[in-house]
Amino acid sequence: MTLEVPTHAFALPEGVDPGALLSYLGERFEVAADPPTSVTYTVVDTADRRLGATGLDLALEGGRTGNVLVLRDGAGTPPVTGPAGRHRRWLVGHLPKGPLRERLGPVIEMRALLPLARVQVDVQALRVLNADAKTVVRMRLATHAALDTGPEPWPLTPRLEVTGVLGYPRPLARVVGVLTSEAGLVEPPSTMADEAVAASGGDPGGIRSKVRVALRRDDRTDKAAVRVLRDLAGMVEANLPGTLADYDTEFLHDLRVAVRRSRSVLRELKGAFPPDELARQRAALKWIQSITGPTRDLDVQLLDWDHLLTGVPADRHAALVPVRTLLARHRAAALRALKRELRGPAYRDAWASYRAFLDGKLGPAADRPDAKRPIAEVAGRRIRKVHARMVDMGAGIDDTSPADDLHELRKRGKELRYLLEFFGPLWPDDVVKPLVKSLKGLQDVLGTHQDREVQAGHLRELADELAGQVGGPEALLVLGVLVDQLEAEQRAARGQFAERFADFASKQQRNLVRRTFAG
Amino acid sequence: MKVVATYNIKGGVGKTSAAVNLAALAAADGLRTLLWDLDPQGAASFLFRVRPKVRGGGRKLVRGRSDITEVLRGTDVEGLDLLPSDFSYRHMDLVLDESGKPIQRLRKVLAPLGEHYDLAMLDCPPSISLVSESVFDAADTLLVPLIPSTLTLRTFEQLGEFLDEVDRRPDVLAFFSMVDRRKRLHRQVVEALPAGRGDIAAAIVPAATEVELMGVDRAPVVVRAPRSRGARAYTALWAELRERLGL
Repeated sequence: MTLEVPTHAFALPEGVDPGALLSYLGERFEVAADPPTSVTYTVVDTADRRLGATGLDLALEGGRTGNVLVLRDGAGTPPVTGPAGRHRRWLVGHLPKGPLRERLGPVIEMRALLPLARVQVDVQALRVLNADAKTVVRMRLATHAALDTGPEPWPLTPRLEVTGVLGYPRPLARVVGVLTSEAGLVEPPSTMADEAVAASGGDPGGIRSKVRVALRRDDRTDKAAVRVLRDLAGMVEANLPGTLADYDTEFLHDLRVAVRRSRSVLRELKGAFPPDELARQRAALKWIQSITGPTRDLDVQLLDWDHLLTGVPADRHAALVPVRTLLARHRAAALRALKRELRGPAYRDAWASYRAFLDGKLGPAADRPDAKRPIAEVAGRRIRKVHARMVDMGAGIDDTSPADDLHELRKRGKELRYLLEFFGPLWPDDVVKPLVKSLKGLQDVLGTHQDREVQAGHLRELADELAGQVGGPEALLVLGVLVDQLEAEQRAARGQFAERFADFASKQQRNLVRRTFAG
Repeated sequence: MKVVATYNIKGGVGKTSAAVNLAALAAADGLRTLLWDLDPQGAASFLFRVRPKVRGGGRKLVRGRSDITEVLRGTDVEGLDLLPSDFSYRHMDLVLDESGKPIQRLRKVLAPLGEHYDLAMLDCPPSISLVSESVFDAADTLLVPLIPSTLTLRTFEQLGEFLDEVDRRPDVLAFFSMVDRRKRLHRQVVEALPAGRGDIAAAIVPAATEVELMGVDRAPVVVRAPRSRGARAYTALWAELRERLGL
């Protein structure tokens, strides 16, 4: 059963006076105008614009009893509201229990909702009436301006929103017909939130985590590599403020992923760069990866906490409180150390030098054998080699192999994954996609295996410290259950390895890779 | 979805006024609200300027033979939709009687609306019949307007006794309606009520011109004159009801 009432949004073309539009509507329909209102609100979304991407619109507005969060879905259903509380950002747990949290939780997951742009809007609400003077169509003529963009508010495209009233489809069709065919209004090119975010200096698409660089097969390898690296460097920079502010765990995660991918490009395409400088920059990125590691490891531990508890009887959960407290304390300490490093001169110099490396000249091509070669040739060769190497490594793994062997294979898998992500579009989709899929299947298993290894190790290390805490001895007993669970999950992942690997390394796949990426 | 029904065996006690104003207040609070005008006189539908389209639509609806979404109408109050009255509700008893399990019928008709609305307000015709029994079965809370008189409490208690015998007893909340402070009897009845009775609301709806004018303005008093005495009384009653419903 559907009860949605359609909403149509129109942009007023430049130069059209909102007042003139009102008179125009008044001549054609019986229109009642409500008193005009003016409000200021803040566009709220996650840094990667998850709400915007799913057609949701969240605003922080002033209410009678304090600020409220107002969620609209643009489908004509009444907005969902809830008290905003006093937060500089909202994680799921900060949202009021009820419909708002239920709607937003699954979309934002572990991400924080952040204020992205402040907007002032002057609204003239209009109602089209029928012969009984009943409202049959609602309209909102809204004139927006982005605030905090400079000395003056920055005017955004005025809009006319037309919403039907349930049970009265014909008047709506008439109004929309007049506005489109007679007045020639068209839909706005972007949402108001997107426009406001762009006007406030943000990227309407949010901070990206996917590389977006269009390459051609015959592009020079060094140029192609630098373009990818610059895109990744932009992601590191975009995620740095959120990491320092600790809005949510994903800023640090995405920063680290961008650094790891950059290292991978430098390693895989090393023949495109001058060796000495390359070594220096690789060492710098490795250092960044190392200083950001401890905080991320603890983030994973805490993000997985609820999942971990599922393996512990409910009546024992309380006993684990000291463990969680200890993890949170370690995380806070790790974050303090991380912030010190990221704000310190070593990081500043390392990053400036890396940026200069990407933006400057790479030196004579004679020192860089792959520099001038077409990217398809060099990347294809690497994809083939890394795939073959993984096949060899995986073939040597059995139930008795040490965990390190699986970890090494996973690291290679990441290299292959990144090569396919950045350069895969140079080859036909029907080859690349199945390869990515089987690789992903394998990596998931290897990832779980390694994560559980690290997590179990962490928890074991906590044992000594825990013993001295209040409630520590009891927590230790239950900690054993947690470690057992992690080890069981690790064994289960290992149990799946053979099947996933067989899929990845099948003869058909091997032949396909050899043929396609022959260079 | 919570279901509230305004009910009294007698007519002209302020059932429709309460249903219309409380539904408008619920919608203004952001609750997705439905008002079902079950009274064949159609006062609530009239107040919202909604004309029922098809005669006999209500009959089909109750028998489960029509698509409820085709009969729903949005009102001038955003977030409040109306299931308009239909003349065939006159014979609702017969229609219910013809359908299988008549008492559970209204609950069944309402069930699919649960995902779309937070609150359904039923404005019931005055009577005690199969229709009222079906309403009692569907309602979470029965809201009973009482005009102060010597027999008021006695009648209310009789309703309670009747409800004790139904299968699914709704919560009952009465409130004094159309109270005229100039009348000694009204004052005496209201004041004689023991304090803290859980089944009678503290809010008292006055006999006020602006409430009576709703029929002329064709809009809820809480919308047309939100600061009037009548509107403030409904606002206080809504606050009590909302808390009781846990909404």
